[in-house]
Amino acid sequence: MTMHPHSTPPHAAEGVLLSACDVVRTYRMGRVEVPVLKNASIDVKPGEWVAILGSSGSGKSTLLHLLGGLDRADSGTVTFRGEHVGGYSQSRLDRYRNEHIGFVFQFYHLLPELNVLENTLLPATIGIGRFEWMRRQGEIRDRARMLLERFGLSHRFRHRPAELSGGERQRVAIARALMHNPDVLLADEPTGNLDAKTGDTILDMIAEQHRAGLTVVMVTHDQWIAARADRTVHLVDGRVA
Amino acid sequence: MAVYTQLLVRRYLSTRIIPLIAVAAVGLCVALVVIVVSVMSGFLDNLRASGRTLMGDVVISYPVQGIPYYKEFIADVLKLPGAAAATPLVDTYGLLRMPYPGGPNKDVVTAQVWAIEPETFSQVTELDRTIWWKPAASPQEALAMAEDDPRRQQDLSGLYEDAKVLRERATDRPGALLGMHVSIVNQRQRDGSYRPRNSMWWMPNHEITVTLVPISEKGTVSQSNSRVFKVVNEVMSGVFQVDKNRVFIPLKEGQELLRLDEAPIVDTTAVPDASGNYPVIGTSPARATQILVRAKEGVTPDELRVQVAEAYEQFYLQKSADESVRTRPPAAEYVSIMTWEQRLRDLIAPVEKERQMMRILFSITYLVCAGLILAIFWSIVSEKTRDIGILRAIGASRMGVLWIFLRYGLTIGMVGSGVGIALAWLVIRNINAIHMALGNDAPPWLYVTFFLLAAGSAALTVRALTRSRILSVLLWTVATLALVGIGTGLVLHRGFLIWDPAVYYFATIPSEMDWGNAWITAVGAIVFSVLGAAVPAARAADIDPVRALRYE
Ligand SMILES: Nc1ncnc2c1ncn2[C@@H]1O[C@H](COP(=O)(O)OP(=O)(O)O)[C@@H](O)[C@H]1O
Ligand SMILES: [Mg+2]
Repeated sequence: MTMHPHSTPPHAAEGVLLSACDVVRTYRMGRVEVPVLKNASIDVKPGEWVAILGSSGSGKSTLLHLLGGLDRADSGTVTFRGEHVGGYSQSRLDRYRNEHIGFVFQFYHLLPELNVLENTLLPATIGIGRFEWMRRQGEIRDRARMLLERFGLSHRFRHRPAELSGGERQRVAIARALMHNPDVLLADEPTGNLDAKTGDTILDMIAEQHRAGLTVVMVTHDQWIAARADRTVHLVDGRVA
Repeated sequence: MAVYTQLLVRRYLSTRIIPLIAVAAVGLCVALVVIVVSVMSGFLDNLRASGRTLMGDVVISYPVQGIPYYKEFIADVLKLPGAAAATPLVDTYGLLRMPYPGGPNKDVVTAQVWAIEPETFSQVTELDRTIWWKPAASPQEALAMAEDDPRRQQDLSGLYEDAKVLRERATDRPGALLGMHVSIVNQRQRDGSYRPRNSMWWMPNHEITVTLVPISEKGTVSQSNSRVFKVVNEVMSGVFQVDKNRVFIPLKEGQELLRLDEAPIVDTTAVPDASGNYPVIGTSPARATQILVRAKEGVTPDELRVQVAEAYEQFYLQKSADESVRTRPPAAEYVSIMTWEQRLRDLIAPVEKERQMMRILFSITYLVCAGLILAIFWSIVSEKTRDIGILRAIGASRMGVLWIFLRYGLTIGMVGSGVGIALAWLVIRNINAIHMALGNDAPPWLYVTFFLLAAGSAALTVRALTRSRILSVLLWTVATLALVGIGTGLVLHRGFLIWDPAVYYFATIPSEMDWGNAWITAVGAIVFSVLGAAVPAARAADIDPVRALRYE
């Protein structure tokens, strides 16, 4: 493991679940280099709900993708339980996303050909092999049904995403993110595409999961939404303030 | 293999129209290639088979004068390791006086006359098989024939037996076998059978007069000779040029008419005896202008030709050395010894050319099909780029993503190939019926059906209009117009035949599936489907998941 000075932050003793330390991410557009994150750092403690507030285009999604192992930083480190995520092999990284992270996106990102139940089951079917699936299928399906029922989707199991409202789709997306009991929920403007009332119910659901012990990192450009979190950090000029 | 790949492949295949289009495209490409290659290679096979049907494998020919002592030579040939059978014949051109029309002025036609020994000729060629007027081989075959087919109406077994010995057995008159199109009487029916234009002139009820012209050793024309033959049957080799021109008569009669039979040699320089005859000083042997040889199973015509040429050399040397032989056979270099392929080169060469053309066209067809499959898969996978990003975000590996699309391509390739082969099989098996149907005007039920479908489609257009669904209106309008167009086309359609036997040598279109090629084509289509899916899928698997997620 690469020993970056910040890979074991000073407050590690208090327990930091997920952290980014001095991450830099620059996009190239033709000849122009666009620096999006310039030495951004953030620590997320277990059971915490952190909101990252920033204007549109400030790099919030980019930071979230780095935390979730979807993207690699040009420099700086992302650590999860003290492990250097940047040093993971490709298959370890796939497993990290599958087992430890649950993503929720602004545009729901459900698979249009699968029905609600199948979309919810997806992380489980990706994460385990055929034999384990055959053995544990019943238990796994029960969990998916339980999650969907809790989110008020019990009559929607066989529906396609196209047949659902935006709020319903986002609830399916959250159920999918929770399917595998992740350690961290990474939500990228989860209410960005919803009206205020529907957005509130989504936030209520996240709050409920948070109360049950789930660590949440939520990105938003709306300070009223950010106010629902335990703690708000600002992303300005590529840095977390 | 994870569970989700299977699930996604199944859903991608079952919930969208584009895989159906892809299956149809693969199927049509496979069917197209298989049909064309099968017909073309069937055509070449026919040509190959016709070589044996017509002339065996190797032909020894010395025209006009003929080869003396041919019986001895045939005995030598039969001892060769590669020869299965051999037969002598005399071929020439002659005049046929036909029985029609009524009155004293009959039609006279020229024909290629082959004087044969029917028994041995049948061993070398497949004369038996080509005899047309014969009883059905089985009750099923009889039932398949049309009611008015003479082969079903009459007992033709006597005629068939006569044909096999080239003799009317009841009267012991010499018989003649006519090619099916030598007379103008036979009319080909849509089902490939024949009817006499006028039952009065059905050829096996009649006689023909054959006139042949002997040529002297000096090359001058002698007094022509004529003889009457009972038409014992007609033959249908399937090679139009042959069926149009050839007539078979018995060898003995042919030799007599051409003065190639055995005859005493007299000394005209000596003093004639009391009755004016010169003294006989020897015998001029009978001659044959051709000897046809059939190869044993597993011996190629070329191998046999080498053996026969050697045997002829020996035969010539032996006869030349024999003082008692007055009439020497022609020296080997004057005798043509060829395989049937060499003899039919004029006919085969253009077909070979055509085949090369077809090969080039096939390569283009294959490439076009491969390109089409590639393009379809490219668009399918591009459309799924965002799904790939989503899958990666929740932990799917690159191999997993790749595998989804490989399986997808594999399934479409296999189903498409299966559909294509089934379609090709149906078309090829019925190609002659389809061709015949094209030759007829369309039956009313067919265009009425199309007009009814058009009416239904028009009704759906109106329904879509009332619900103001623009896409549906557009699609149903197009469907209505297409159906009306097809129906009108069928009403206006006047029969035409593409396959003119006079042009293509064979009377029917080959209708055997070339299975070897079919499997190769199917495997090729599957490989291209998998490749077509693999290239964009590999690209998709390489895409940075963040980019794929942002992909709109
Ligand atoms: N693949 C990319 N190539 C070039 N520029 C990009 C790419 N992805 C994002 N960007 C740019 O990076 C900046 C930050 O994007 P993002 O993280 O999505 O911001 P936010 O989520 O805060 O709106 C934006 O200006 C965006 O245009
Ligand atoms: Mg964003």
